[in-house]
Amino acid sequence: MAIAIFFIAAAMAVAGAIGVVSFREPIRSVLSLVVVMLALAILFLLLSAQFVFVVQIIVYAGAVMVLFLFVIALFGPTRELARTRLRFQSWLSVLFVLALLGLIWAMLQGVQYRQPDKGVDLSFFGTVQAIGVGLFTTYLYPFELTSILLLVAAIGAIYLSRKRIDDL
Amino acid sequence: MSTMDIGGSQLDASWFLILGAILFTIGAAGVLVRRNPLVILICIELMLNAVNLTLIVFSRQLQNMEGQLFALMSMTVAAAEAVVGLAILVDIFHVRDVEDVDELSEMKG
Repeated sequence: MAIAIFFIAAAMAVAGAIGVVSFREPIRSVLSLVVVMLALAILFLLLSAQFVFVVQIIVYAGAVMVLFLFVIALFGPTRELARTRLRFQSWLSVLFVLALLGLIWAMLQGVQYRQPDKGVDLSFFGTVQAIGVGLFTTYLYPFELTSILLLVAAIGAIYLSRKRIDDL
Repeated sequence: MSTMDIGGSQLDASWFLILGAILFTIGAAGVLVRRNPLVILICIELMLNAVNLTLIVFSRQLQNMEGQLFALMSMTVAAAEAVVGLAILVDIFHVRDVEDVDELSEMKG
């Protein structure tokens, strides 16, 4: 059962990713990315990461993708032209990407998997409680730092999208 | 020694890692091939998602929560990156239409 779910979700993810790269209209790329994110959310649930599954759907597929859709809707559907400045750019990038995939593949052949930690209760694994305990005890400091990062990003976005004096 | 028992069936961690590698390279191909700056940002999101998958696979394989916590951190960073990137693009689009990232070369020395 889990194997079937894995292969269906993996096929969805790869198909969506190819859609992201190959559609000419940006809006279709965004919707394909939503498909990829939902497929990855299924895989997260398979790997008993319930809380990350929910966050993936709400924050990523929900909020971040809607942000992209807003920007596309604001500036109209811009079809991408097929021309390129650099000759052979697509061929070179295909070559580079195949080399990258081959490298990662070769690296995966040599991975020495560590034995799982002993005595972990898997019924507790990945729950909101487990995540919360981790975030608010051992990793409190990085957690607070990410909130500062989000604050800085929000201030930066407001500053960048302010009304210029010469616009008035 | 990388098989994981998920719901009674044996799944290999390397399947997930290969899927992550494929998604990451497709995203990298998109960054290299596409011309529209908005689509390049979308492809970067795809690459970040592929990395999140590997984090969560290792978290499950080692039965250690830290991978999931780090995946949450990287989601936060991805959200911040998307916000700032889109704000910069909106700011540029106010001034002119950009069809090709190569047009944005004003800061070239």
